[in-house]
Amino acid sequence: MSAWFLAFATLLLLSLAGALWRIWRGPEPADRMMAAQLVGTGGVGVVLLLAAASDWQMLDVALVLALLAAFAAIAFVKAQSVDGSGDPEEDPVSPAAGTDPTTIQPGRAPDAR
Amino acid sequence: MPADIVTLVLCGAGLVFFFAGTAGIIRFPDTLTRLHALTKADNVGLGLLITGLAFQAPDWQSVGKLVLIWAMALIAAGTTAQLVARSALQQQDTSQ
Amino acid sequence: MKRTVALAAIWLVFAGAGLEALVVGLIFVPIAVGLSLRLVPDGIPVRLGAVAGLLPRFIAQSVIGGIDVARRAFDPRLPIDPGWIEVPVALPDGGRVALGGELSLMPGTLAAGSVGNRLLVHVLDRKQDVAAAIRHEEERLWQTTGARRGGASTGGPPKDTEGSR
Repeated sequence: MSAWFLAFATLLLLSLAGALWRIWRGPEPADRMMAAQLVGTGGVGVVLLLAAASDWQMLDVALVLALLAAFAAIAFVKAQSVDGSGDPEEDPVSPAAGTDPTTIQPGRAPDAR
Repeated sequence: MPADIVTLVLCGAGLVFFFAGTAGIIRFPDTLTRLHALTKADNVGLGLLITGLAFQAPDWQSVGKLVLIWAMALIAAGTTAQLVARSALQQQDTSQ
Repeated sequence: MKRTVALAAIWLVFAGAGLEALVVGLIFVPIAVGLSLRLVPDGIPVRLGAVAGLLPRFIAQSVIGGIDVARRAFDPRLPIDPGWIEVPVALPDGGRVALGGELSLMPGTLAAGSVGNRLLVHVLDRKQDVAAAIRHEEERLWQTTGARRGGASTGGPPKDTEGSR
């Protein structure tokens, strides 16, 4: 079995190489960030496969990696927001510059339940 | 062993989704569509991988950790996808 | 109370059920509960049973979402037609974020925060009927809270959520 897991881990690393390409090319900062996130999730996957192949104690590594990936994304958003407060809801935004958003009417009137 | 076969099939399927995520992030035309590919395909990939590995776990604690990792990845993906989408939207706004 | 149980369960998974781990847990679980109550004070009551009821459909939907996006990513013709929609959502703040997170994993939709009480949703294919799905999910999320529709988002038991913000 562990040979299989190692093979899977290698394939997964290959697919992460594609994400690295996107980090390299960008073009938007958000593109790079989400590709880094893909590497994060994929990295968790690789560690999990290695854990299965060798030592289950490595699950802790995957757990920490999963946490850090989330923190990295949140830190990115904080750094990008105008006053650094990290609450994108505070900043005004006009939806979909250039396109025309369709407004959907609510399903049914609110009622007490 | 049947459990081994289940593991291999699920992990293999998981890999397909990881590749789909990568294909999407390379091929899709703009930031937001790429975000679609990343969040959805990736999480299904990780979910399948974790389900597959759970069949191999040596004890209940490892299964618990696998479930925690998965729950964390799910919540993180759902939340950060919104945040990054929002941030990308603002970048678009300011550049126009 | 719910938080104590949840955090204690997470601690057990982290540290195992050994004696030392239990003693350390006895100290740190209350600290974690205190911190969590301080950072996120009790808001809308949430019915855990109802949340668990959401899970099967959510998992099925997110798998479909993954398959859908994988199919589009592999298809040589790249069949996507992205666009924006705005959906008025009456859920309280926390609920709207939960809905957004959920939508981001479901087929074809990606939430990008909200403007006022409307949720901004990016759709991968404008030909898909996502509106019905979004309404359906909102309906289901309503059932997990004790808050009353149209009530204030500050929570409290349903009887005193009559006032609006």
